[in-house]
Amino acid sequence: MVMKQFRRITLVVMLGAALLLEGCATMGGTQRTVIRAKDKVSPALVHIRPVKEVYSRGKREEVVAIGSGFIISPDGYVCTNEHVAGDTKAVYCVLSDKNEVEAAVVGVDPYTDIAILKLTTDHRLPYVKLGDSSKLKAGQTVMALGSPHGLARSVSLGIVSIPDRHLDEGDSRVSPYNNWIQTDAAINPGNSGGPLVNLRGEVVGVNARMLRGAENVGFAIPINVAKEVADALIKKGRVQRSWLGISLQEMLAKTKDATQEGVIIADVDPLSPAYEAKVQPGDVLISVNNHPVNARFEEDLPAVRKLIADLPVGTAATLIVKRGTDKVAIPVMTEEGPEFRGMEQEFSEWAFTASELTPEIVRRAQLPSRKGVLVSGVQVGGMAGNAKLRQGDIILRVDEQEIENLQQFTQTYRAVVKAKKPMVMLFVKRGALTLYVLVKQELPSEGENQEGASHAE
Amino acid sequence: MLNSIILIAALSFGANDGFSQTLLAAAYDAVTPAIGLLEYSSEVTDPATGETSKRDGNALALLVSPDGLVMTHGHMVVENADPFNIRVTLGQGDNEKKYDAVLLKKPDDINVVFLKLKSETPLKLPYVKFSRPNGLMLGSEIALFGLLSESMDFNRAFQAGRIASILEKPRTTYCLDDNVRFGFVGGPVVDTQGRVVGVIGFDLSRQEGGDVYVRSGHPLIFQSELFQQYIDTPPKEKGDEKEEGDGWLGVFTQPLDDDFADYWGLEKNGGLIISTVIPGSPGAEAGLRTGDVIMDFNGTPIRAKLDREVVGFTKLVRETGPGKEVTIKLFRDKKPVDITMKLGTRPRTSQDAAEYEDTVFGLTVREITTDIRIALNLSDDVKGVIVRRVKSGSAAQLGKMRPGVIILNFGDHPVTNLDDFKAAVQKLAEQKPAEITVFARAGSVTGFFRLQPRWDAHE
Repeated sequence: MVMKQFRRITLVVMLGAALLLEGCATMGGTQRTVIRAKDKVSPALVHIRPVKEVYSRGKREEVVAIGSGFIISPDGYVCTNEHVAGDTKAVYCVLSDKNEVEAAVVGVDPYTDIAILKLTTDHRLPYVKLGDSSKLKAGQTVMALGSPHGLARSVSLGIVSIPDRHLDEGDSRVSPYNNWIQTDAAINPGNSGGPLVNLRGEVVGVNARMLRGAENVGFAIPINVAKEVADALIKKGRVQRSWLGISLQEMLAKTKDATQEGVIIADVDPLSPAYEAKVQPGDVLISVNNHPVNARFEEDLPAVRKLIADLPVGTAATLIVKRGTDKVAIPVMTEEGPEFRGMEQEFSEWAFTASELTPEIVRRAQLPSRKGVLVSGVQVGGMAGNAKLRQGDIILRVDEQEIENLQQFTQTYRAVVKAKKPMVMLFVKRGALTLYVLVKQELPSEGENQEGASHAE
Repeated sequence: MLNSIILIAALSFGANDGFSQTLLAAAYDAVTPAIGLLEYSSEVTDPATGETSKRDGNALALLVSPDGLVMTHGHMVVENADPFNIRVTLGQGDNEKKYDAVLLKKPDDINVVFLKLKSETPLKLPYVKFSRPNGLMLGSEIALFGLLSESMDFNRAFQAGRIASILEKPRTTYCLDDNVRFGFVGGPVVDTQGRVVGVIGFDLSRQEGGDVYVRSGHPLIFQSELFQQYIDTPPKEKGDEKEEGDGWLGVFTQPLDDDFADYWGLEKNGGLIISTVIPGSPGAEAGLRTGDVIMDFNGTPIRAKLDREVVGFTKLVRETGPGKEVTIKLFRDKKPVDITMKLGTRPRTSQDAAEYEDTVFGLTVREITTDIRIALNLSDDVKGVIVRRVKSGSAAQLGKMRPGVIILNFGDHPVTNLDDFKAAVQKLAEQKPAEITVFARAGSVTGFFRLQPRWDAHE
């Protein structure tokens, strides 16, 4: 989790485009078992075509992607990945009978990359049986079902390479709260959200990642993680997690001595409950509300993070930390965790997009507070582009108005656009420096020729 | 022998427009004895991985004083390259003589480097004396002198050229009409009156560490007035601390173009908007604020309207000198304000940052200079040293340390500067613990590294 940019694995999310593939996998005597297991799941397999809302180069766009999913209840709940069903304007599902049905998004959880859809139907649908991912063993045969490169209803066969692979939290596409099932069953773009199935025909994982440049190194979210998230999404539409603002590191990063138990607190976010409570980097976390915690290896970290995330939001908790040779009890108030991504918006008149500041952005930009908005993209040739506003700039002020958040920026922006002010001054942070950016509003209705003339001088 | 002193200006040629064969041949005879071959090796560090490699380089060396001051092009000293093993060969054929040379501190306003030849006895060598380039105009013919390639025995040669364009800001810059061969870079430029008016050069790009002038890629004439001061008073040897330093205000500025003036209701005469005030800098202490518009610096009106005019101001502040009391006239909220303050000393840049190579853990670390602090967006309270290199196969590499990591604590010794780090390493080398913990910052997060030194390998 720490030193994140140095240990990054390039993982690819598997939204697919079409490409022809050929191949087959048969395994002598086990063939009948494989076919039987596949037959149990394939009627509930879903080919998903989401219309995704994408912000790119200063513009909001809609693109059609391809993913996979599986029906988990007879009344039509479908489990898939957040990166398939999140930020969508519409989601179309092709069922095993090849009919297409539009689905509603019930809820998404970007932290685990799980999403739940609901199909509108008047009859019972075939659904899968969910297995127990905690019982998975390396070497166990599994198969991946889905739409690799858009090729619907495909099956590939392999084994569990390791049931609890730790992937570094530093990659924003990796869940901090769970380890992953690694498999050599071929997983390709388009397999995202599809089921990983054992030979009993039970779904044990949700296929979600592949390692770029490697062969048959794919990763699935353990179904036990997906089950818990799915329950929360179906009941409440979202997953609520507590946040303290601490980064954790395994004990091995400090010592080989196995008798030293606990979890290293590597960093404390400056605008967080843990900071308020005076938790310090270097403290060793021993227990959370009397639950002892221990992470000797990095694989042990997700469970500790989950324990903290599962604390009720807005309640008092007690951390026991070892500081030097002392044991210190630290009372903290939990806070609801930040959104995975800040809300984003297009400002079409000026031709740029901006998003909310997340704690991560605030920390990277070394901002003294969470006030401001992040410029997420600037279109070439637009007013913001002409004013040399750049992607990554943080807008702190518009004319004399301090910017608090995206909502208030939007209001301020709307007001200056409506007032047709010829010039609007932005005060922005760019890296370590601040500077002034003057946006000249060229208004479409009047003075078009005049403006053109003044430019020509 | 090579001991006649050249004074091109004293030779009379008569012809003013264009080069005759006689003039070129005379100029060749006069100038080329001052041209030598510079050979050096360089240790290059990949900034991303910290891996180093050594490579050889050569360049034109131009003698600019009889006692062995040599000027060469600035690409010898760029970010992440440390030159060593520096030799200069003068003369050709039977007259060839090799000298070891010492690198002097690179000037930061012009992309040339000076070297001093080493000699037991006082030197009296042929050298080039420069004249001011008055009379150089668009289309003027010029002759460039330089070296042919190694396969041509580094024979001296000339190349004809013309002034193709003259840029006015931020300093008068003459552009050549065509590319020059490698061996001519740093070579003398002679005008049609037979005067040496400058040398051929390229400005450093920003990627190469150029922060002042970034017009890279096009051959320019560095006219003599840009570097004559360094010939008159040569820079100190690199690493020599006893220098006076430059004046420093500690602010970043933007030009007051007409649109900004319009917006703030100021006259459209140019000026400089203070966009950032570095905390703790002389400017911050004197109460300068973002949004202040500088109109006059100690009697010099500031009339910047273009981005590239900002550098002129930086130069002005530098040259005014540290400790000097200055009065700055500015507009604050449209009202004129005078601020009288003392300039500070410009902090060292990463190019001159002190380094320490520890042989126990395999780390080469650097002090955090103000420019690094700005480049990495490090707040003022981050004190430590920054890892520049990690030795292959070392305890630091095994412990997954990487260049760019900022060490804050090393084996339970707080590290706020290079001396702290040295002391920590020395202490640990005596105590020989089986493992040590490093607390560090990588990017925007902190965390721990565990190092297991192989002490037996250091017995």
